[in-house]
Amino acid sequence: MSHRLDPNLLLELKKYGDVNVEACFNCGNCTAVCPLSTEDESFPRRMIRCVQVGMRDELLGSKELWTCYYCGECSETCPRQAEPGEFMAAARRYAIANYDRLGLAKMLYTSPALSLIFLALVAVFLAAFMYTQHGPMNTTSLALFQFIPDELIHNLGVAAMVFIGLVGLMGTVNMVLQIARADGLTKAAIAGNSGIRLNWFEALWDTLGVEVLGQTRYRRECETAEERPPWYLQKWFIHASTMWGFMGLLLATALDWFLALLGIKPTGTWVPIWYPVRLLGTIAGLFLVYGTSVAIIKRLLKTDKTSSHSITSDWVFLGLLWLSGVSGFVLEVAIYLPRASSWGYWVLLFHVSVAMELILLAPFTKFAHAIYRTVALYVHSLKPMATVELARPAGAD
Amino acid sequence: MASDKLRVDALVVGGGIAGMQSALDLADQGYQVALVEKEASIGGKMIALSKVFPTLDCCSCITTPKMSAVAHHRNIHLLTYCEVQSIRENGGGFVAQVLKKPRYVNEDLCTGCRQCEYACPIDLPDPFDRGYGAHRAIRVPFSTAVPQIAVLDIENCLLCGKCEQVCPVSAVDFTQTPQQLEIEAGSIVLATGYEVTPRDAKKEYGGGKLPNVIDALFMERLLAPTGPYGHVLRPGDGKEPESIAYVQCAGSRDQTLGVPYCSRVCCMYAIKQAMLISGALPLADVTIYYMDIRTFGKGYEQFYQNAKAMGIEFVKGKVARITEDENQNPIVRVELIDEGSRVVERTHDLVVLSVGMLPRYNPQPLYGVPVADDGFVEVPSPNISPCVTDRPGIFVTGTAAGPMDIVDSIMTAGAAASEAAAYLRARKSASSVSTTTGKERELVYA
Ligand SMILES: Cc1cc2nc3c(=O)[nH]c(=O)nc-3n(C[C@H](O)[C@H](O)[C@H](O)COP(=O)(O)OP(=O)(O)OC[C@H]3O[C@@H](n4cnc5c(N)ncnc54)[C@H](O)[C@@H]3O)c2cc1C
Ligand code: SF4
Ligand code: SF4
Repeated sequence: MSHRLDPNLLLELKKYGDVNVEACFNCGNCTAVCPLSTEDESFPRRMIRCVQVGMRDELLGSKELWTCYYCGECSETCPRQAEPGEFMAAARRYAIANYDRLGLAKMLYTSPALSLIFLALVAVFLAAFMYTQHGPMNTTSLALFQFIPDELIHNLGVAAMVFIGLVGLMGTVNMVLQIARADGLTKAAIAGNSGIRLNWFEALWDTLGVEVLGQTRYRRECETAEERPPWYLQKWFIHASTMWGFMGLLLATALDWFLALLGIKPTGTWVPIWYPVRLLGTIAGLFLVYGTSVAIIKRLLKTDKTSSHSITSDWVFLGLLWLSGVSGFVLEVAIYLPRASSWGYWVLLFHVSVAMELILLAPFTKFAHAIYRTVALYVHSLKPMATVELARPAGAD
Repeated sequence: MASDKLRVDALVVGGGIAGMQSALDLADQGYQVALVEKEASIGGKMIALSKVFPTLDCCSCITTPKMSAVAHHRNIHLLTYCEVQSIRENGGGFVAQVLKKPRYVNEDLCTGCRQCEYACPIDLPDPFDRGYGAHRAIRVPFSTAVPQIAVLDIENCLLCGKCEQVCPVSAVDFTQTPQQLEIEAGSIVLATGYEVTPRDAKKEYGGGKLPNVIDALFMERLLAPTGPYGHVLRPGDGKEPESIAYVQCAGSRDQTLGVPYCSRVCCMYAIKQAMLISGALPLADVTIYYMDIRTFGKGYEQFYQNAKAMGIEFVKGKVARITEDENQNPIVRVELIDEGSRVVERTHDLVVLSVGMLPRYNPQPLYGVPVADDGFVEVPSPNISPCVTDRPGIFVTGTAAGPMDIVDSIMTAGAAASEAAAYLRARKSASSVSTTTGKERELVYA
């Protein structure tokens, strides 16, 4: 098998994080210390080696990039302090930037100044656009969706979803093709028309149920065995709390919309706090704000290896999540205040702009890992059965 | 307190192989030498080893003659159980204030018959056997110690007087006190040696808590005919190990321990021990987990190839973790770099940590000799004068200057002796007041 080598790969990668793998002497300590590395799947040393020698395609086609949750154990114990964990994080950013053909992800990861300007402009544009469409500010009661019509929000939301769906799909296809090439899976096998049976459903459950929602591997293995912090401060929980919170909020918003579509409850009508959808939103919001707050504090205090290298995109992502969570709560307070206060309208404008920006830019920011990791893990769960099938000689049955 | 005075050409500090050889090389040229050793016997680390690479010579057989030569040389004043407390310069050279620690045994009377030792009721862990064997509170330090004079550990002594009763020459003396001694010397040779990585340095390797994970110095003792068990047994339960693993660079080339350098000797001693184990336990499997095998000396590569041919398994990969199973068998977790990069956990009966070399003594405060970043004595021009320190008149040899093996220790010992001799001669011809003349080169008591 021939390999195309890119001598600038390491230099290129350095733009994506605090990469110090020139120091690596390939001892394998990181791989062996990694709780997620196994007999069949070993990382990060092999990935580092790929980068040292410039094997770009192998790097981009390795789903191992996404099986790493950056527990930091490898960086903690690397005898050369080459920060292999941070390397994996940078390699994932590099991969996201490569899967995204629009070049936006690359800018957001590698040029802090440009990306801050860009983000500000997008937010201002969103806010300004919605403001131009605004209706009256009812002063007797807080009629949020008279101020910014819920139709507008919904339509913008749907447009954003379609946009990220398309971009995400494009990136995903790029990624899957890369992985497939590196793994020796054919396009036909992936598309399912080659006669090879793949464990589609089992893989789906493994990925979405066990890995993503349950955070099983993260929870069970990716935590230093000694000196575990209390569960509410463990990395997996902070991550899960943020993720569950976000998903809960998304679900509550969608449900709210469905209720309106079904004519059960028009969006924006006042409901008591225990109303199921509202309750779901409130609890999910608590999870989100808790997770992001702790994550931000850990990064500020650099409590461990994982949280001691932060690039602009990490702050932007956490910041947007936190802001949308907190502004959501402020909004909720405004709703339950006895008298309508005009600041509630401005908070709504802020909240919707931030949340919209967060979603709109998802495929290009740190958020993109949610797409790519899930797909990579899915392809990864697919693989064992596929290889078994492929390996079996014809007529063995 | 009236203190004894001694006037010599060179003061050698440390009586390991490097210090002994330097002292001999100077003494053979006619210089008067004082050798100050802080332990009760000279010999250093080398006398505790089993056999030496690359020749597989028996270590006691080649060290003991040197120790005796030092003890009996007419130009060497051997001062064991002594420590230098201060150094100053007078016009003629250095003046060292030396503390002679009490042995509680009269050195002139003791014959080393060990009757006291047999009578003493107190057993203590024996540092000579890395704490695994035992010695009595009063004992001759070890069987080949030089001098063969008993020493009493007063801290752990019951003062029961049994030793005093049995000593045939009434040498035991509970009333001894520390003595002061002043040594005037034209030059100083530092030969204070090295320390090995503590067994508990790395928490990933069990932090010293796994009974069947030992360090290589203890394996030397297990392999030595005078070792604590008389056989290679694992300390956890006394079982004869069938599968033994070496973990290389266990304390070297590891920045998490603050030790970025290579200790040079561990690859070679591990190979040596693996060969010796193959002799002692012919059925045992020996595996060496390594990052790189460094066979830097003459004949060393061949030594390595021989070991491979003997069936010793070499596995490329740094051991990341050592745990144990319910039978206290150590389990190593390692990436098999040359075998598809698989991560595996392998169980062995005994794991030996190839511990690294650490600096043992910092001479900066007393001698004004700086140490380098790695903690070993700094040598400003290692290429052209590898034994010359930053302070004129003070030289360094052996592992005090950095990790090295016995061959190199002996070589630098000769080099340091030459440098010191040249220095003494140059000073003598430069100054009208000579420090020593032929006649004065004798023990002068004030
Ligand atoms: C497990 C193991 C196996 C080895 N096997 C081999 C081998 O097979 N072949 C080989 O070539 N090398 C081998 N080596 C290396 C060898 O041990 C060293 O190269 C050699 O012993 C160094 O001798 P040294 O005199 O420099 O130091 P040391 O032997 O450490 O001697 C230093 C002496 O100075 C004394 N001292 C220290 N500080 C003071 C002070 N302040 N005042 C007075 N005295 C002081 C100490 O008590 C000691 O007696 C091995 C090393 C290890 C760890
Ligand atoms: S532990 Fe460090 S030096 Fe060893 S292979 Fe991993 S990154 Fe490289
Ligand atoms: S001699 Fe070998 S085992 Fe020792 S530190 Fe150097 S490479 Fe590691």
